[in-house]
Amino acid sequence: MGSEDRANWLDGNGVAGLLAEVFGAEVTAVVRGCGSCGAEAAVGAHRAYRGAGVVLRCPACGDVAILIAQLPDRNVVQVRGVWAFELPRG
Amino acid sequence: MSALLAPRRIAWRVGTVAELVEETAGAVTIVLDVPDWPGHVAGQHVDVRLTAPDGYQAQRSYSIASGPEDGRIALTVERLDDGEVSPYLAGVLESGDELELRGPIGSHFSWRVEDGGPLLLVGGGSGLVPLMSMLRHRAARGSDVETRLLVSARRLEDLIYRAELETLAAGPGLAVHRTLTRERPAGWDGHDRRVDREMLEAVGPAPAERPHVFVCGPTGFVEQVADSLAEIGHAPDAIHAERFGPTGG
Repeated sequence: MGSEDRANWLDGNGVAGLLAEVFGAEVTAVVRGCGSCGAEAAVGAHRAYRGAGVVLRCPACGDVAILIAQLPDRNVVQVRGVWAFELPRG
Repeated sequence: MSALLAPRRIAWRVGTVAELVEETAGAVTIVLDVPDWPGHVAGQHVDVRLTAPDGYQAQRSYSIASGPEDGRIALTVERLDDGEVSPYLAGVLESGDELELRGPIGSHFSWRVEDGGPLLLVGGGSGLVPLMSMLRHRAARGSDVETRLLVSARRLEDLIYRAELETLAAGPGLAVHRTLTRERPAGWDGHDRRVDREMLEAVGPAPAERPHVFVCGPTGFVEQVADSLAEIGHAPDAIHAERFGPTGG
């Protein structure tokens, strides 16, 4: 990773660190169903657009999956669509 | 792949540079001792954070090159002269220096011997780094899972891990295919162009064998390869892609 390439998006997998900050767990292998087109794709296979935070979009239709705004003292998060999680208890 | 993953707080850790290895004229491997490293799965990456004396911070993601069995963490960093972070990591950093990192992260792009095969690994430039972690893991576990590696570089001198790849390719089940896109030495018997559909079909395995496919490299490279793989008929959910981002190096 780390290149001069100027394309404006990368893979959800590439922002795994920020996602782990938000969810408290590694979620890139979690499958998410798109509320718009119904496609199911791993979070790591979503498209990640970076700016003053990150927007993840459905790889099939481009609908927004999650918005994360990074402020100096906190992350502001808006989640959309279906996120199916399995996390161990305790 | 199971979505059952252990929750854990993602904390910044401080690693100490144990060794620096010049891979090519533009790429350096940074070997780190990281106390309490939780272990990683081949293919995962870390975030690296640099802090200037005035508090300014810059953060980048780097794939882990070492296998999970290695004990220490190795990152191979390509130096981009107009970059903000890579000229420091691959030029200024010395043995004994400390480096802040967090991870491992990025389970979507990862492979364990238990996941089985066959494997198709396609790397462009330093996109070979996470694929190398998979090959080192495979070798450390004595696995003979059928594996095809296709690696693209501009020139032979730009190809990282050259000697180790030759050693690994002598083992069972691994075929290493190389393509040089810009300049080739006399008598070159590898491929001589950018990766395309025809090359991928020649490398295999065919979609009917349901290979796990991992593609890593610059965005344009990954797009081209992913499109060709889809045309050949590989299932979209079998293709794992890792694009280099517009991170400014």
